[in-house]
Amino acid sequence: MDFIGKRRIFLNASLLLVALSAIVLVSPGLNLGIDFTSGSTVTFRFESSDPGTAGVKAALDRADHPEAIIQAMGDNQYFVRTDDLGNSGLDAITDEVAKLDGVPATVLDTSTVGSSVAQDTVRNAVIAVLVAVVFVMMYIMYAFRTVPSSYKYAIAAIIALGHDVLIVLGVFTLLGIAINAEVNAIFIVGILTVIGYSVNDTIVIFDRIRENVTLAPSREFRSTVNLSITESVTRSLGTSLTTMTVILAMLLFGGASLRDFLIVLLSGVIVGTYSSIFIAAQVLVLWERRALLPWRRAAVSP
Amino acid sequence: MNRFRGLLLVAILVVLSVVVLTVSEFNILGFSRGGDSVLGLTLGLDLEGGTHLVYRVVPEDGREPTQDDMEGVRNIIDKRVNEFGVSEAKVQLLGGGAGTVPDRVLVQIPGQIGAAITLNFGSDAVSAQTLEDFFHDNLERPDAEVKQNENLSLTVQLDEIRAEVVDTDGTVLTPSEADAWREAVIDWFPVALQVGYVLPEIVPPAEGDDTAVDSEPEETLPTLEEVQAAFASVDRSDAEIDQIEAAAGLFSILLKGVDTSTTDDEGNPILGEDQRILNALREIGTIQFVSNQGALTQWTLGGGVQEAKNLIGKTAQLEFRYRECGDLLPPSNDIPWPPDGLSDEEWINARCTDPAYFTESATEIDAADLDDAFPDVSGGAIPRPIVTLIFNDDGGDAFFDVTDRVARQGDRLAIYLDGEELVAPSAQAGISGGRAIIEGGSFTSEGVRTIAIQLRSGALPVGLDLIQERNVDAVLGKESLKRSLIAGGIGLVMLLMFMIAYYKIPGLVASIALVAYTIMLLAIFKMIPVTLTLSGAAAVILSLGFAVDANVLIAERTKEELRSGRSLLAAITAGFDRAWPSIRDGNFSTIIVALVLFWFGDRFSTSVMQGFALTLAIGVLLSMFTAFFASRLLLRLFATSAIGNNLHLFVPVRDRGQQDQQGESSVGGNA
Repeated sequence: MDFIGKRRIFLNASLLLVALSAIVLVSPGLNLGIDFTSGSTVTFRFESSDPGTAGVKAALDRADHPEAIIQAMGDNQYFVRTDDLGNSGLDAITDEVAKLDGVPATVLDTSTVGSSVAQDTVRNAVIAVLVAVVFVMMYIMYAFRTVPSSYKYAIAAIIALGHDVLIVLGVFTLLGIAINAEVNAIFIVGILTVIGYSVNDTIVIFDRIRENVTLAPSREFRSTVNLSITESVTRSLGTSLTTMTVILAMLLFGGASLRDFLIVLLSGVIVGTYSSIFIAAQVLVLWERRALLPWRRAAVSP
Repeated sequence: MNRFRGLLLVAILVVLSVVVLTVSEFNILGFSRGGDSVLGLTLGLDLEGGTHLVYRVVPEDGREPTQDDMEGVRNIIDKRVNEFGVSEAKVQLLGGGAGTVPDRVLVQIPGQIGAAITLNFGSDAVSAQTLEDFFHDNLERPDAEVKQNENLSLTVQLDEIRAEVVDTDGTVLTPSEADAWREAVIDWFPVALQVGYVLPEIVPPAEGDDTAVDSEPEETLPTLEEVQAAFASVDRSDAEIDQIEAAAGLFSILLKGVDTSTTDDEGNPILGEDQRILNALREIGTIQFVSNQGALTQWTLGGGVQEAKNLIGKTAQLEFRYRECGDLLPPSNDIPWPPDGLSDEEWINARCTDPAYFTESATEIDAADLDDAFPDVSGGAIPRPIVTLIFNDDGGDAFFDVTDRVARQGDRLAIYLDGEELVAPSAQAGISGGRAIIEGGSFTSEGVRTIAIQLRSGALPVGLDLIQERNVDAVLGKESLKRSLIAGGIGLVMLLMFMIAYYKIPGLVASIALVAYTIMLLAIFKMIPVTLTLSGAAAVILSLGFAVDANVLIAERTKEELRSGRSLLAAITAGFDRAWPSIRDGNFSTIIVALVLFWFGDRFSTSVMQGFALTLAIGVLLSMFTAFFASRLLLRLFATSAIGNNLHLFVPVRDRGQQDQQGESSVGGNA
């Protein structure tokens, strides 16, 4: 199968997806949870009747929290997000909400994050990811030291990684609009998982290229890459299908609390598998042909 | 067979793991693990429920906190949390990362988030079930759960207790629910009192003295009326009093609760009602015995996030108090001295250490005047660990006055942190110049360090700002844990079915390896122990994916080697060798990510990152181990058995057609 010959289609499709993700990320942007914006969240469960989103909203208006965002979670459960409630704000809300049902609604969880914490979290998450990326690049350069220009492999892997993370962020932005999915601490964990998966998947394909380059150094690089992709595509699909089986099972049978996280993982596995085959390896070929940058491509391409 | 030694190793480890997981709790030579959670695993707050509080440490003079400040704060919070009765709470410093001073404290209080009341009826007169029914039916608290503790006290666990409502002037508008319940419990569970009177002991007349022989005893046993009057005198005419045996002076009294509190509403000490009753009963005769059943002797309110927050967030209070020891010499010649039958040696110690004998009063020494306190060693032939105190001028003067008096009177200077005695040294002479040392025969270098840190933390008050709070209901935690476990189980079974259906024997091998992997992973989590959180569960899914990947890679490579005409065993060996570099490189880069995250983890005001990183690193390492020892060797074991003759069982479904033709020659080669 000629993966390299059809690279234009895949590269353009990816460019389009990345561009779309970038656009939605800028506006409307991710639906940031309180870990990033500060504020409070409360999850209520009504024991005997369902007041509906409007009912809960009315109760929160009466409790002087008109800014509250209410989200129905099913099973008479409501997720409420407000400004920082501080020490005493929660009682005011529970009192009002209790009147809706006659019996006190059960408070399943509460969470409050101050603004300084929120800023720290964003900064630290970005630093952590960047440091991790640098170290992974260094390791790839070391692991691929037997093939010429191993730094290209490192950079190609990181380009594929950036592609994956951007698209997952884009998907999550859309989820934020569609089902009010929020970026919280567990979302960051999801992104980290995607990073781990993406790098691992890319390295498996690169490993095949490394092997084939060593076996037949004189073969044209693009043929070597194409052969390597063909040889590893079953494995890539096998692994992602099995991993997706587990994630899908948890998505279908698990509780609502992990839903957003599992969607991140699912999209990450799909995009990660795709990018290893169609982006990471293709970047290597383009680079080999000195055609990574469009203005140079015009000069070099036949 | 030598080459299957690795397989044996894995088998032994799996059996060990199963044992570790099935024994819910064990304790060998002080090494104890497990508990009454699922498989005895340590569960994080998001799964078990609990409270997660993050405080920023802000020194009140506006400087950056130092490492010592932070340790002092941790020390104090640790103590407060323990006082609060939450033994499993975790207090951890969080901060800017490697090489910098932490500036935040994370307090995690697991499990019960509500409030708890511990009460004691002084006997097992009231059963846990009775009290629980009482809370359910009479106090309308269906959420109450009562359990009996080992010392016969009862603990009532409640979702929450409404605290008292106080207006801005400090007037109590609504009393706390707990106070009302206390009254109700006292009213509801009667105290059964038995009193036996005797005639006063008549001193046997001295020999030769015959005057006493004729004298009739003037006292008689108290009558029912007298006992009733005695109760009336302490405002308890509601007591039901029965005379059991008039001749023996035996009465049984049924009281609706006795209030044993020894302080009034303002906290001033008063005589407990039980004491007042006893005194009234003493006045009318000589008591031989009093027994009571069911008196409420303890009522301790604990739990509740609000209370935890109030307790933890306080600024530490360091107090210097003057301790006036009990008199060394008898105050007058009439009293036997030392008191209470103590020997002279015992008295020298007890007069200054037993609160029954000394009195204390405030001093002029202000904690803020303590400039520094640090661990040190004394000079002299045998250096001893000491604590050096340095006061500013004001503090130095006050310190001189106090130590001068302490030295002259043979008293003590007691130093308290948060109301708990740190140290109470004596003094040889008044100490001037604002520089003092504290030494003690039992001081260790670690001990003086702790005392110095505590002194400093009390002297330089640091504020604690609550910057993050998260409460997870235990029910929600249990629910999501249960559902995630079920879902994970279904996912794992589906995965195994897929692997076996698609990859045949290699799939079966992979399945066995994965089950072994899962069992060993859980056992490792239990042994370390790793706190299992939702993010940890995510890491488990990812590492499970990697474990699957390793097996898929081995199976695919083996298939290719078979296709190129190798014998089955040679194909497995070559397939594994070919798969290994990609397994290794992929997993190492993941471990690198995990290490970086772990390194950065303590910068976040959440344990999510570190939990994820640790779980992932362990999972990935173990998946490499199982791939190397279990999958490879199991595959060889199957290949050398009779199954090895059915080559198509080693080739994925999709490739069967082409493989069957190519496989013939391989089988031939193998034979």
